Amino acid sequence: MADNTAVSKALQVLERQLNRPLMAALQVCARCGVCAEACHYYVADGELEHVPAYRAEELRKVYRRKHDFFGKHLPNWVNAQDLDEATLEKMAEMAFSECTLCRRCTFNCPMGVDTPLMMRALRAMATASGKAPEILEMLADAAIEKGKDPAMFRDLFVAQVAEMEKELQALVGDPNARITVEREGARVLYVALAGAHTILPPAAIFWAAKEDWTLSIYEAANYGVFLGDTARAKTIASRIIDEAKALKVQEVIVAECGHACASLVWDAPIWFQEQFPFRVRSLVEVMAEYVQQGRLPLDPSANPEAITYHDSCNLARTSGIYREPRVILNAVTTNLREMTPNGLENYCCGGGGGLVALPEYDDKRMKAGKPKVDQIRKTGAEIVVAACENCRLQLGDLNAHYSMNVQITALADLVVKAMRLPKSVAVPLPNAAAVAVGE
Amino acid sequence: MADPIKPDQILDLKGLLCPMPVVKLSMAVKKLQAGQTIEGIATDPGVMADIPAWARTSGNELLSIEQQGKEYHFIVKKTA
Repeated sequence: MADNTAVSKALQVLERQLNRPLMAALQVCARCGVCAEACHYYVADGELEHVPAYRAEELRKVYRRKHDFFGKHLPNWVNAQDLDEATLEKMAEMAFSECTLCRRCTFNCPMGVDTPLMMRALRAMATASGKAPEILEMLADAAIEKGKDPAMFRDLFVAQVAEMEKELQALVGDPNARITVEREGARVLYVALAGAHTILPPAAIFWAAKEDWTLSIYEAANYGVFLGDTARAKTIASRIIDEAKALKVQEVIVAECGHACASLVWDAPIWFQEQFPFRVRSLVEVMAEYVQQGRLPLDPSANPEAITYHDSCNLARTSGIYREPRVILNAVTTNLREMTPNGLENYCCGGGGGLVALPEYDDKRMKAGKPKVDQIRKTGAEIVVAACENCRLQLGDLNAHYSMNVQITALADLVVKAMRLPKSVAVPLPNAAAVAVGE
Repeated sequence: MADPIKPDQILDLKGLLCPMPVVKLSMAVKKLQAGQTIEGIATDPGVMADIPAWARTSGNELLSIEQQGKEYHFIVKKTA
């Protein structure tokens, strides 16, 4: 049949993905509806199709058709359904634009049903059958292409870093402050995102903590993860893993980025079936450790504004990193105002799962972000801190769309602003307010 | 010396962070006719590596890319 190519590819991927956790998720649901209020999409508009159990049921129908006795022989009795191309397209759109894989439903489900795991399986099915958003594929492929020949961009990157090094020296008041690139034998390999804004502030923090670090030439972002495409995700992650092994570092520190951290810490060891010879941590964990060890000269009065912290779903729920940001914020600010709920129960900003990079879903994204906007407004905060690039992009868009009149910033920016650096000069941090320090 | 290329469209990408310059460029190129050119102006230094990689994977032609002070200018020709 004409439409069977895409459908059969999708079904083959579903069969390949069927491990015990996914089968459990596909077979278990008490239909209690608790997940409804857990989902920011449902909270935003109360529509039935935004209940996580409803979304899961779309895939369960297809699963039952092949794997349930009654589904095979009397499909109407158990609401089992053959997959056709129109249904596949509808399910693909749902998985990419109506679920940010935030896992709040899983945390609130009395059975622990992992609906995002099912949505990831659907994303993989959609990607294999050519139904994934073109832009996510383009971003993943561009990252893979870029990594094929590092010599093409390495010199340029080193030259850009040399410029940043001058800014670092001015910022910290030390002409000997360095940003080395791929230095063998360094204790730490720091993996940033594109642009100076995730390099310069951490560089100042590493300098203050006297860390033995070097900079990766690769970016931490991994768009293969959003596609549910393990092959692409592995290719992108392998550059960092191989680089860390070659440099013989003891630790890889990932920039403030939720999915990049979660994928390297949790997914990569499974993808590669390997225990890496280095530890992987988020910059957030490392900054908290520096604070607790007293390695940073901090003055919290430098950040007197009303500040709230948005927990990235990938950091808080997937990686358990929700205490560490508070350790940092309590040391670098004087007016922290928590959202309700927060930490593990924090609502997604609406931009996760790669959605922030998909302009065709801007309307849905702004609507799904409304619960977050309401949370922020209730705190009365002037500054919203987020330790994830996706979140910051989404919060910036929400800020403009809903006229929140807040400033969005990263944790590292606040830490640098609070650092007492007597000989430094004012240097505007990229994507942040000017840092005027010194005596 | 060759005449500077006059692009058919200018795309302001200043202030945008990765991956938005590539996303916006990709969307803008889709709307062009084959053979038309577009000049992007960005402030994120990541474009110096990202745009050439995007051009190779998308099949479009990168005619030039250069740093001008704090800005990065590049011209892309839609090939098909």
